[in-house]
Amino acid sequence: MPRLSTSLLLKAYQENTLLPLLLKECRSLDSARNELRWLRERALRDAQERSHFRQDQDQVTGTHIGWRTRLRAMCHRRSQGVPLQYLLGDQPFGDLEILCRRGVLIPRSDTESYTYEAARLVRQMALETKDNNSPTPSQPHKAKSLRILDLCTGTGCMALLLHALLASHFDRIQITGVDISPIALNLARRNLEHNIRLGGLDSRARVDVEFHRADVLRRNNNSSNGIDTSGNAIPTVEELLLSNLNLTTQSEIEHTETTTTLPKIDLLISNPPYISSTDFHNGTTARSVRLFEPKLALVPPIDIPATTDTAHSIGSKGDEGDNDKPEDIFYRRILELSLDVRARITVLECGDRMQAERVVGMVKGMNSSGSEGDNEGEGGGGGLKVEVWPDTEEDCLSNGFHVRDGSSVTIDHLTAAAASVGIGYMVTWLH
Amino acid sequence: MLKPHSWPRISLGSSNPNTYISLYTSLLPNRPFTTTPILPAKPLPPRLKINDADLTISYLKGTGPGGQKINKTNSAVQIIHAPSGIVVKCQATRSRSQNEKIARSLLADKVEAQEKGDQSRVALKAEAARKKKASKVKKARRKYRDLDLEKGGEEGASGDLEGEEVDVEGEDGDVNVEERKAENGSSEKGLST
Repeated sequence: MPRLSTSLLLKAYQENTLLPLLLKECRSLDSARNELRWLRERALRDAQERSHFRQDQDQVTGTHIGWRTRLRAMCHRRSQGVPLQYLLGDQPFGDLEILCRRGVLIPRSDTESYTYEAARLVRQMALETKDNNSPTPSQPHKAKSLRILDLCTGTGCMALLLHALLASHFDRIQITGVDISPIALNLARRNLEHNIRLGGLDSRARVDVEFHRADVLRRNNNSSNGIDTSGNAIPTVEELLLSNLNLTTQSEIEHTETTTTLPKIDLLISNPPYISSTDFHNGTTARSVRLFEPKLALVPPIDIPATTDTAHSIGSKGDEGDNDKPEDIFYRRILELSLDVRARITVLECGDRMQAERVVGMVKGMNSSGSEGDNEGEGGGGGLKVEVWPDTEEDCLSNGFHVRDGSSVTIDHLTAAAASVGIGYMVTWLH
Repeated sequence: MLKPHSWPRISLGSSNPNTYISLYTSLLPNRPFTTTPILPAKPLPPRLKINDADLTISYLKGTGPGGQKINKTNSAVQIIHAPSGIVVKCQATRSRSQNEKIARSLLADKVEAQEKGDQSRVALKAEAARKKKASKVKKARRKYRDLDLEKGGEEGASGDLEGEEVDVEGEDGDVNVEERKAENGSSEKGLST
């Protein structure tokens, strides 16, 4: 990180003595000014609330802290790298206000953008299915029910925003957020209540959105492998889906087969950990992220995959899995899951274009291996389609990709200009 | 200060909210606070609707890695209106969608001001505010002039009355000049903002 110039620091100091502190983390005067404004607003608000509720108490104990003291303390903590969202306690995400706390990843605005895009795709898909089904009036209601699975949900931001965006379009909507961290799950449930209280979410979200604990990486071993997992505290996603979704939707799914059939999911969305351990340490990952956000949510674990892969996955997959980079292990697992649950749309966040293309390669490999049988070659009618949604600004402009651009969005497959580093988002959809 | 909810609620055995309201209103004195009739404000022209196709919206962000690797707090939104070339940037809140809403309304105001000039919403609002301020200043001056007059009257109770009248006239003239000055000042301000 380049040093801050003395002239910049002086200029900041002359404007406000707290600004140089914020500059350490913000790096530019403009964003330091913004952060100072938000912190001041929060300090003032806190002081006001305290004066309303604790006036008597403060007078007795003499612990009254003025807003200036509080602001200064917050600025000092910010200069040490504590994320602004942890200091303020929340982060806006779409029209929702997502609570944040130590131990849970803070929602990013990039995630917000593609969640909007995913919601748009789902609406579009629902319309198309409706049109297709209109000649056969036997199942028009099917388009009106929707099932979403959000893996590695963290604060629950995507699950909740999707509910806010889609609830009015569907009669029945069922969203399951999955995470391994109990802290994250608690926070996600708090966020659900918090946003219902604020009015960003409809109160039916209490029933529609559920958060459950499961280990995404651990593969399911059905009776065929004969390993008893009942003793393990954290279930696999499959176990969770079977025990949970099936119970609630038994009436809807026609059970021609046994209960081992996983319920069908319309949208599988995930923002899994994807930072490689080198990138985590070599300065690519920001200091504030590295020091204060949970590593669990950022870097995939290294020790797990090899053993599980060889132990109980289908031969071809296992071989490919061994060639995966350690930061990509979540994607293979999630893609397998998406085939198993016959997800119609899968949206995954990737770290950069290269990673996105590796994931695309994975999808193609899995598709050609044909082990699942229910999808044809790429580009075939009703087959599989893979898209990378670029995130760099030039890409956005050249593609007209914008969260609310409605009908005019056309995203080129992998041909988008500019090979600069950014985030690639990947979508696959299967019929 | 008494707030409506702190008033004692008189219940007559029915939970109909209408009875409560009628009782509540009957407790209040049935007369306005001012004797000047309340004139309805002139309706502003409707907001300008801007075609989304004319807009280029971009989220300003730095280069380099994104996503989980960094945690940027800057959520600035910039909107370019192609036909007029007006650029609006907003980073007032931490929320992208809020910033976009604000930027859109700012843009609508600017485009309208460019198209309609004096007849735009912004200009009309500024004009109304200017008038209100001018009348406030005028009233304040009148009040203090009267106060001074009374004071002067008490002091000069032993003096002769004609001199006083002359004084008043002089003051009056000064006041008018000052008022005009104040008006000019505020109108200049209105233009500059």
